[in-house]
Amino acid sequence: MAVYSFYIFDRHAECVYKRRWLPRPASIAGKSRPTSDTPTVANGLATMPSTRTTDDDAKLIFGTVFSLRNMVRKLGGEDDNFVTYRTSQYRLHYYETPTNIKFVMLTDTKSPSMRVALQQIYINLYVEYVVKNPLSPAEHPGGLGVDNELFEQSLEQFVTRVLS
Amino acid sequence: MSSSTKVSRIGEELWKTKIDKVNAELVTLTYGTIVAQLCQDYDGNYHDVNKQLEKMGYNIGMRLIEDFLAKSNAGRCANFRETADMISKVGFKIFLNVTPTVTNWTSDNNQFSLIFDENPLADFVELPDDGRAQDELWFSNILCGVLRGSLEMVQMQIEAHFVSDVLRGDDTTEMRVSLVRYIEDEMPPEDD
Repeated sequence: MAVYSFYIFDRHAECVYKRRWLPRPASIAGKSRPTSDTPTVANGLATMPSTRTTDDDAKLIFGTVFSLRNMVRKLGGEDDNFVTYRTSQYRLHYYETPTNIKFVMLTDTKSPSMRVALQQIYINLYVEYVVKNPLSPAEHPGGLGVDNELFEQSLEQFVTRVLS
Repeated sequence: MSSSTKVSRIGEELWKTKIDKVNAELVTLTYGTIVAQLCQDYDGNYHDVNKQLEKMGYNIGMRLIEDFLAKSNAGRCANFRETADMISKVGFKIFLNVTPTVTNWTSDNNQFSLIFDENPLADFVELPDDGRAQDELWFSNILCGVLRGSLEMVQMQIEAHFVSDVLRGDDTTEMRVSLVRYIEDEMPPEDD
């Protein structure tokens, strides 16, 4: 199983952490819905030059999970939440804490549910290393984000050892 | 009623299994030192000391809530009454090993009191005998801030203040908590 990328969004809708493991393979270049400025080519994938940056990706992903979450809640009630969705190219896993921190992971389509893994990342890594670090700011305004070596190292280990 | 006892069982269980304990006197003395230092720094202006304690608590609460959620795995409360139970029977239980009584609800269910039968922060404490501290200083005011900070993170804006304190010679230690509003989700800023 391959993990493509991982994002954390805080309650202010700010992307406070992003990490990509593989250089985006051409085959998942179309991983966000095609928009007007990224015209889809005949076979739908692969050949279009990617003009999006990781920042754009993060915004698109936030938009996707934010809208999807709200629609899911409208349909299934306030406590409902979506867990994952899958396209032909990737699978997106989603975990949101009651404090509105959103954890998003993109993996290949064959991967099992990552909900527990995301929860583990929140409980054992994010809370332990970021929240409990007295010198790290409680909020991460202005795109500064989580800049914490312990967290990054442990995340790296978690993803390479536990998930692969 | 049963939901309330269920909540207290959750608190007990967490306290027994997941919580690292520290010496209570260490906490009491450390907190006392902080308050004493603030009283010195603000030159006995207890109004400012209260404010500063509240602010410190707020900053603690913003982080503490994540630890609380990570340990308790609690979901969202359905209403403010559930929230109050959760605060008293799980929150205070696991962090201070006390369960203040939730009482004095207003009819709209937006305001309640927490009565502290015991308060580990205030052991050994006698307020300064300068004639003002008894009327002005809320010694445990940090707790108000902790509640405000932690509830803000779970989309509740609240206001909390002490209305009586045994340290001042009152019969009970009572904190009043009022729900101001539920905070809406923030939207990402518009793209340029």
